Amino acid sequence: MTYRAKKVSIVTEKLNEREIERIVESAGATGYTVFEGSGKGSHGVKSRRQLVNAFRLVKIEVIVRDRETAEAIAEQVADTYFGDYAGIVYIDDVEVLRREKF
Amino acid sequence: MDLLANLATTFAAQIQSPALAFLLGGMLVAAMGSRLEIPDAIYKFVVFMLLMRIGLEAGMEIKEAELASILLPVLAAALIGCAIVLVGRVTLPLLPGVKMEDGIATAGLFGAVSASTLAAALVVLEAEGVAFEAWVPALYPFMDIPALILAIVLAGVHRQRSENGDRGETGYREIIADSLRGSAISALLLGIVLGLLTHPESVFDSFYDPLFRGLLSILMLVLGIEAWSRLSELSGVAHWYAIYALVAPLLHGLLAFGLGYLLHVATGFSPGGVILLAVIAASNSDISGPPTLRAGIPGANPSAYIGASTAIGTPIAIGVGIPLYLTLAQLVFGI
Repeated sequence: MTYRAKKVSIVTEKLNEREIERIVESAGATGYTVFEGSGKGSHGVKSRRQLVNAFRLVKIEVIVRDRETAEAIAEQVADTYFGDYAGIVYIDDVEVLRREKF
Repeated sequence: MDLLANLATTFAAQIQSPALAFLLGGMLVAAMGSRLEIPDAIYKFVVFMLLMRIGLEAGMEIKEAELASILLPVLAAALIGCAIVLVGRVTLPLLPGVKMEDGIATAGLFGAVSASTLAAALVVLEAEGVAFEAWVPALYPFMDIPALILAIVLAGVHRQRSENGDRGETGYREIIADSLRGSAISALLLGIVLGLLTHPESVFDSFYDPLFRGLLSILMLVLGIEAWSRLSELSGVAHWYAIYALVAPLLHGLLAFGLGYLLHVATGFSPGGVILLAVIAASNSDISGPPTLRAGIPGANPSAYIGASTAIGTPIAIGVGIPLYLTLAQLVFGI
C-alpha cells in the first residue's frame, strides 16, 4: 500500500546546507537526505574538483505529507538564498510506504 | 643596479626552490590538460600538518618569549590587515567594471592570509639560514580575522546605504567564531596551545618537522593546478581584478616590510620576522577566506575575488613576493 506525498528537492551551494536543514526541520519535516555533487548553471560551473568545499553543490531532498508544507519550505528557501546564491528548488509527486514516517 | 642584480640572482635561485618549482609544475600539468589529481583528503591533511607544525613551534617558543615583544608585532599585523582592506575599498571601486561589493570582497581576501604562502616562506628562510622568532607565524590570525571582519562590515554598511537593505546583518562575534572554527586557524591554534601547555618535542622532531618540506611540495602542486583552473573564471570579470592581483600583493608586502623595519629599529624585531610579516601581508587567503566572505558578503561575485586571489595573487605572492622581500632584507639588514 502506498500513499501520496510531496518531495521537495533543493539544489544549492554547500555553504547554505546547515541553515537550509534548519528551515526544513522547523517547517515540520521529519527528516531529509543530502547528496553532494557538481553542476552548471547561471552561476557558472560548480566543480567537485574545486578546493573550497563550501562552493560545491548539495541536493537536499525532503519528503513531506502535504503540498502546503512542501511549498512553505520551497518558498522560504528560495526567498532567503536564491537572490545571491546558486540554487534551484522543485516539488515532485511521490508515493511512499510507511506513511507514519513522514 | 645592485638591487636589480641581487634580485635577479635571488629569483634565479628561488625559481629552482621546491616550493616555486612545484607550484609552476602544477600550473604546467593543468595547462597541458593533465588529469593528475591530488585527492581532497590528502590536501586537507597536508594543510593540517603544516599548520600544526607551525603552531607547535610557535607555542613552544612563546613559552620563552617576552609577551611585551610579541604585542607590537601583533598590533602591526592587525593594522596591516585592516589597512589593506581600507586601501582596496577605496581604490578598487574606482576602477571601471568593478562593483563595490566585489571590490570589498576582493580586498578582504587579499587582506586575509594564506597558510601555504606562509609555509613556503618558512621553508625559504630555513634554507637561506635567516633566523626569525618562531612565534612570528602565529601572527597569521591577527591579520587574517580583522581583515575579513572589516571587509564584511564595510560591505554591510554599503548594502544598507544603497538599499533599504536589512540583510547582511552578520554580527562580529559570529564572524570571529566562524573564522576561529575554520580548519586552518583551528589547526594553528590547537598547535599553539599544545606547544604552550605540553611537551610535544618528540613528535615535533620526529614527525611534524621532518615531513614539513615534503608535504609543502604537494600543497604547492595542488595550488598550481587550482591556480590554472581558476584562471578561466577571471575571463568573465573586469580585467582590473587581474591587474590588482598582480600589483597589490607586492605593495601590501612592501607596506608591511616598512612597518616591520620600524619594529626592527624600535624593538629589535628580527630581519627574518620582518620578511615573514611582509609575506603574510602579501599573501591572500585561498582556503578559509572564500567561504567566510561568501557567507558574509553574499552579493559579491565569487568568480571575481577567488579568480583574482587563487589564480594570480597566490602565485605572485609566492613566486615574486618571497624572493623580493628576501632580497630587500639582504640589502637593508645585510644578512
